[in-house]
Amino acid sequence: MAKTYHPPSVIEAIRADYFSTRLNSVVTVTFATFVAWAIWQLVNWGLINATFSEENKDACGHGAGGACWAVIDARWRLVLFGLYPFEEQWRSGIACVAIVITGILSCVPWFWNARRLSGLWVGGFLVFYILMRGGILGLTPVFEQNWGGLSLTIFIFATTTLLGMPLAIVFALLRRSELPWIARTMGVVIDTIRSLPLLSIMFTFAIVLPFVLPGWMIGDKLYRVIVGYALFFACYQAEIIRGGMQALSPGQEEAAKALGMGYWHRIGYIVLPQAFRNALPPTINQLVITFKETSLVVIIGFFEILASGNAAYGNADWNFAHVEVYCFVGFIYFIFVFALSRYGAHLERRMAVAQR
Amino acid sequence: MTNSHAVRIQNMDKYYGTFHALKGIDLSVAQGEKVVVCGPSGSGKSTLIRCINRLEEYHAGSINVFGTELDDNLDNIDEIRRETGMVFQHFNLFPHMTILENCTLAPMLVRKQSRAEAEEIAMEYLHKVKIPEQADKFPGQLSGGQQQRVAIARALCMKPKIMLFDEPTSALDPEMIAEVLDVMVKLADEGMTMICVTHEMGFARQVADRVVFMSDGEVVEQADPKTFFNAPQQERTKAFLGQILGH
Repeated sequence: MAKTYHPPSVIEAIRADYFSTRLNSVVTVTFATFVAWAIWQLVNWGLINATFSEENKDACGHGAGGACWAVIDARWRLVLFGLYPFEEQWRSGIACVAIVITGILSCVPWFWNARRLSGLWVGGFLVFYILMRGGILGLTPVFEQNWGGLSLTIFIFATTTLLGMPLAIVFALLRRSELPWIARTMGVVIDTIRSLPLLSIMFTFAIVLPFVLPGWMIGDKLYRVIVGYALFFACYQAEIIRGGMQALSPGQEEAAKALGMGYWHRIGYIVLPQAFRNALPPTINQLVITFKETSLVVIIGFFEILASGNAAYGNADWNFAHVEVYCFVGFIYFIFVFALSRYGAHLERRMAVAQR
Repeated sequence: MTNSHAVRIQNMDKYYGTFHALKGIDLSVAQGEKVVVCGPSGSGKSTLIRCINRLEEYHAGSINVFGTELDDNLDNIDEIRRETGMVFQHFNLFPHMTILENCTLAPMLVRKQSRAEAEEIAMEYLHKVKIPEQADKFPGQLSGGQQQRVAIARALCMKPKIMLFDEPTSALDPEMIAEVLDVMVKLADEGMTMICVTHEMGFARQVADRVVFMSDGEVVEQADPKTFFNAPQQERTKAFLGQILGH
């Protein structure tokens, strides 16, 4: 008899995908049971048996078997704002929101030209700096060593990438120079910096550099660390961009040359736009890594969000609640990193349409 | 020095390392002249026309394009590239830009035209190559023949005085060759100065004022098409014509 096609029902599809052989059935049942058990445990711990408000704090921790979210209720301001003076923390909050909005706006295609993008970020950083640092407009000055928490994390991330990205482009172009001695020197610089641990670079910029630099160049420790971090970022990102450039056929630059376009026009309109498209997945990857490694500034005494989290459970009242604090901090990291990778995926789809 | 020539190449040599790729080339092309360059692969035809707009460097002799000496002076190189259009075997359209943007980019950046002006000129040439309706598509959405016609339009938008064609039909499926050749014939009829590296001998017969035969980095023979195809003088020319025509 000839076969006829009819679309499979849901049950048939499930049976075909998960219960097609005896072994498949066993594997399916085993894993389903495990996942159900894990979810149940998690819900039980995080929601059903959990304590949410600070008033019920006594129920926490001592054999109740649930999460003690009371610690977040009591200490969230320390986690988000670090050592920033308590009564001024609204400033840190608004500054943080300002930078996040600036970041979101710069994902909108309308802002994608040099003038708009630079105007946006200069404005964003100005708002951030005035709010955080104070000292004018009747705001009490708050020095950089007291900045902390989420706004510090985001500030370090934003400045590092904004400083590092143009630097990475310059490095990549130098590395690709037609003059061998420039290309080779740049190669050695990049490889050297990449072979050093980030921690040692941060230490060098924070602690050693002041002995070497003239007084007017020293600046606050925070900015020196950011410059060091940006340099580190630029070396990795330069190799990513160079990879994107190598995927271009030589014909692209030749066509631009044949049309009479000069070097900077060729780079700006033909090479870099395509190189960034090719290099988008590893670029997003690098941004995610950079965001998470901001936590290393704790070693030179800055209370970014992870260090603030440590401080939040670090007293006699709350020292049992470290898991809850880490869950909270982890959740904040997750929001940012997940948003970043979703945006990367969106860009890839957008470009796939253009490049088909 | 008169300016009646479009391109004048004198005693030009080109090396790839120790390999002598072009040997003592002497070739003049008059304004309005259509020259077809042919020869076996590896004979240096592509290298020759890529030297004219400095995609390749030459090492001895001289090249003069419309009175401008092609030397190491960057201004001269820019000047020559502005006046020289080139069409490549693999089209080399910019894949991240629409057809219209491909055509307007260089006129806006190099010729400093306004967007409106550049788009008007671009549409005019897209009409001429018969694909104005594709203006907002991306190169990847077009067939090979269409892409090559866009590449011709893109080069024409710069209003070049001479067009160089580097095997413009070699990467095309057979059914698309005719539509590209049609555009090239039309361009020739309008008086454009052209140097074409091609294996399309029908096109050479129909359009060329002169056929140049190259082999092993040398110009072996040049003549008008009738003489070239009917009464070739050199043994290497006869052998080549025998191979491509004598099935």
